[in-house]
Amino acid sequence: MRNTLLALILAGRAGTAAARGNIEVLARTCNSCHGVGGVSAGATMPSIGGLPRDYLSNIMKQWKYDERSAITMNRIVKGLSNDEIDALAAYFAQQPWVPVPQKANPETLARGKTEVDNNCADCHGASGGDPDVDAPPLNGQWARYMELELQKYQSKEFKMPHRKMRKAAQQAKPADASAAARHFGAQGR
Amino acid sequence: MHPFDRRSFLKSVSAAAGASILSVAPARAAAPKARVVVVGGGFGGATAAKYLRLLDPGIEVTLIERGKLYTSCPLSNEVISGERSIKTLQSGYGGLAARGVKVVHDEVTQIDPVKKVVSTAAAGDFPYDALVMAPGVDFDYSAVGGLSAELAETRLPHAWKAGPQTLLLQKQLQAMPDGGRFIIAVPKGPFRCPPGPYERAAQVAMYCKHHGKKKAKILILDANDGFSKRPLFEQAWKALYGYGEGGMIEWVSGVNGGQVEQVDVSGMSVMTTFEQHKGDVINIIPPHRAGKIARDAGLANFKGAWCAVKPESMESTAHKDIYVVGDSCVGGELATGNPFPKSAHMANSQAKVVVASLVAKLNGLPPPVPIYTNSCYSVVGHDWGFSVVALFRVENNQWVYVKDGSGISPVTFGTKEKPVPVPRIYRKMEAEYADGWLRNLMADCYA
Repeated sequence: MRNTLLALILAGRAGTAAARGNIEVLARTCNSCHGVGGVSAGATMPSIGGLPRDYLSNIMKQWKYDERSAITMNRIVKGLSNDEIDALAAYFAQQPWVPVPQKANPETLARGKTEVDNNCADCHGASGGDPDVDAPPLNGQWARYMELELQKYQSKEFKMPHRKMRKAAQQAKPADASAAARHFGAQGR
Repeated sequence: MHPFDRRSFLKSVSAAAGASILSVAPARAAAPKARVVVVGGGFGGATAAKYLRLLDPGIEVTLIERGKLYTSCPLSNEVISGERSIKTLQSGYGGLAARGVKVVHDEVTQIDPVKKVVSTAAAGDFPYDALVMAPGVDFDYSAVGGLSAELAETRLPHAWKAGPQTLLLQKQLQAMPDGGRFIIAVPKGPFRCPPGPYERAAQVAMYCKHHGKKKAKILILDANDGFSKRPLFEQAWKALYGYGEGGMIEWVSGVNGGQVEQVDVSGMSVMTTFEQHKGDVINIIPPHRAGKIARDAGLANFKGAWCAVKPESMESTAHKDIYVVGDSCVGGELATGNPFPKSAHMANSQAKVVVASLVAKLNGLPPPVPIYTNSCYSVVGHDWGFSVVALFRVENNQWVYVKDGSGISPVTFGTKEKPVPVPRIYRKMEAEYADGWLRNLMADCYA
């Protein structure tokens, strides 16, 4: 009896370990474009390690069900089950957020800071490192990625469901939006 | 988290942060848990070596590669057109060495799958518990009369392994007169980088358009009757350079006599099944097969040219404890026409499957569930790119191409009856994503 119980417990543990191992196998496929631990090495691809779990899981499901426009990710996530999406979101949310501070010229940074204080800081924090629960950190996120993402919010050609973000982006002049992205991209921890 | 995963995770984080905030317990000086030899330091081999060390530092990993500098084939068409410096596509092996991979620059001369030993020209023998083969492809020059390896290096560069030939082809393009003709001969598939020849045509056309060669022609002589991302390429060619009758780019399919059988270098012409074509630049991509060292080791058991592997682990079906990744292997759903594409990302993904399987096996853990992914960007103009993604799972020991989760960038929006053009901003963004994709892929393999 005792042995059976022990065997069951061990089998249960092995099962959980295997499931966790499999999520890590799945998560490693993301590294090819988003970096080991979700820390991107390319300016147009976002870092995803340490982003909030709900943000990640929502955004992937919105792509999957065509509620949000993307160009590549919408195709990729359609092959994942909702359980896999949730597990990936939880996995990457557990990774530390590792800012990659990028240089920018002082005028752009000053202009960006003004724009951020007026239009972005409320949800993302002044440096991007103190976001609301459902907003992503932006400090040391790749500036070029953020610029492109802001262009999606400003363009009529993309379905972007987040009302508040859409309004904020559309209020900004393109040059201000770009400067804001550079400001966030320049921030460290 | 498994103990070895946790360690490796912390190591990766500290490396990513660029600061060694955590000391990683080095593998004990005692005998390693296992010795793994990796042959070939391209995308597949480099990934295997890196991730073995990441996931289990108790494994001794030796990477044998003859070159000291690797040049990415992906995006190397942009070097031919002068849009990109070749330096942005290169990596050495220092990153892998820093992760504890023993990097040996040498030529592998023999593999003994029974005694489990890899022999090299100068560095001696390397016994292994497991061997990862990633030798890439060899070119079969004998398939085109008049062609040779020497001509490829001097007059007729294929530039299908990025490096000196890429730069030679660039020079030939620059020297081509306005009104000149650039011939690209595409071999019968499967070949490395399925969309590559068609991206090359676009990059050459872009160069000509912006460098006073508006009357140039790019003639694609193709041994095949269709090609990767075809609707996307044809749309872009048409919009940017003119395609077909009177356009800059022309494509001749195999059935219409596109297969090149002979080349005459002194007369600068090629012969197809039907006719002779003169060219100012002749870029013949020879047919491929698995790297010689893999064929010599008896691994090329699929049509005598490619290495068949097991879906769950990428282990060779010919020899136990040998795993084959990258362009030299064959896999995927062959019956339905969805084989593994011979791409950098695919090699990277295959190598991760090998590593997960091997590390589990060496640590007495249950075999993990494999998953294979691919992505590949093509850049056809300054602000025009597109991509393909693919997802493969394994069910009942067979590869399954997951249609949801795979596919090319949209060709049109709207409905089938009432299609509307895809806004240009989509193409523009994908041209930018291509660069980020390549940088991450290089980092995932070499950093």
